Amino acid sequence: MVKFGVEFVPKEAFWKTVYYAIQSEKRGFDNLWITDHYNNRNVYVTLAATAMYTKKIVFGPGVTNPFLVNPIMTTQSLASLDEMAPGRVVLGMGAGDKTTLASTGIEANKQLSAVVDAIAIFKKMLEGKSVNYEGAVFKVKGTKFNFKPRGQIPVYIGAQGPKMLETAGEIGDGVLINASHPKDVDYAVSQIRKGVANAGKKMSDVDVTAYTSFSVHKNAQKAMEAASPVVAFIVAGSPDVILERHELEMDKANKIRAALKKGDFGTAFGSVTPKMIEAFSIAGTPDICNQKITRLLKSGITQFVVGSPIGPNVRNSIDLISEQVIPHFKE
Amino acid sequence: MVLKEVYVVVYKKIVKMIPVEKRGTLSDKLLNYLLKTKNEAKMPSSMAHCFLSQWQTGTFDDETGLAVLLEATALVELEKTAEFLEKDLQLADVAKAVKEAAA
Repeated sequence: MVKFGVEFVPKEAFWKTVYYAIQSEKRGFDNLWITDHYNNRNVYVTLAATAMYTKKIVFGPGVTNPFLVNPIMTTQSLASLDEMAPGRVVLGMGAGDKTTLASTGIEANKQLSAVVDAIAIFKKMLEGKSVNYEGAVFKVKGTKFNFKPRGQIPVYIGAQGPKMLETAGEIGDGVLINASHPKDVDYAVSQIRKGVANAGKKMSDVDVTAYTSFSVHKNAQKAMEAASPVVAFIVAGSPDVILERHELEMDKANKIRAALKKGDFGTAFGSVTPKMIEAFSIAGTPDICNQKITRLLKSGITQFVVGSPIGPNVRNSIDLISEQVIPHFKE
Repeated sequence: MVLKEVYVVVYKKIVKMIPVEKRGTLSDKLLNYLLKTKNEAKMPSSMAHCFLSQWQTGTFDDETGLAVLLEATALVELEKTAEFLEKDLQLADVAKAVKEAAA
């Protein structure tokens, strides 16, 4: 049975994010993902508070990256969280957003190797022994915790490009596919399958997760309006090959890119077309959303994540998902 | 729990002044004010934990829950809360009591 996850961006005070975390658990979500960006509240502080106020929801950073947070510190954070909420913690690891990282002075080179190294160090350190590892990006020598981690923690890899998707299938317990459209998800799953085969695993060994931009409301237009800002950023950040896959007009995409660069959000958000919303989000009434989720399930998705914006009013949208979306797939 | 009891004593008395049939509407509106407020800095950490503790173990529709919610919202959005009580719910005496309690 498909699992439902929810993503929150900790851009507001901790008590708001934790309120939504509690609500999500009460309303039947299985997983909770908190984004990790230096310019928001700290992901692990948010997750620690979440651990204290929830009992069964599975949670983790979705996703952190090895460039801004050293893998040793990521392992320490997750191992500590695993003591607070035993068995409920997962790691979401990706390569990070190059533009955001550049603003911190970090050059995110060799992204695939960095993720592979980070996960190798993560798994070894969770064994509780002294670790020696020499990767292409990260090296550790005689590194050991002064405490005994509880054990292994499932690793999900955030992936979009072909090699990262394949590697994720190979070494991940789960893959976070950053996509909302069947064209992108079908392609991603085909790459994951290659990695799974390389590792001699079965597809059922991997939690294939669609990490979508989602917006639901009883009024489809309101849902789409709420999705526009998020879609504008996705369009601006997508490589041309992805825009071409969805037959989107380049001049309109470039207009959004230019407007966002200038900080002209009105023009950027106003330039988002219905076709862009269709390509990069799942937005509409519960019935429309259910149809789109059904299509993604046919691609082989085992977890569906409702990501930003979730809806025009997050609290009401979580209730709506609980009442009219999750039961459609779980009952 | 001790923390919660300390917080809600005054507001529990105020909640008793609110007709039961209007409590659901009030609770819904207050949650929207609270979750959309830009005055996050006005929320004391202890009140934030009281609010989360109530949400974890109960609801905001019963007497205790609504008292916690009313106090939290009055701390960050007093004017909006009082205006809603007075104009939309026609509860001028409750609005006055909330303003006095928050002062």
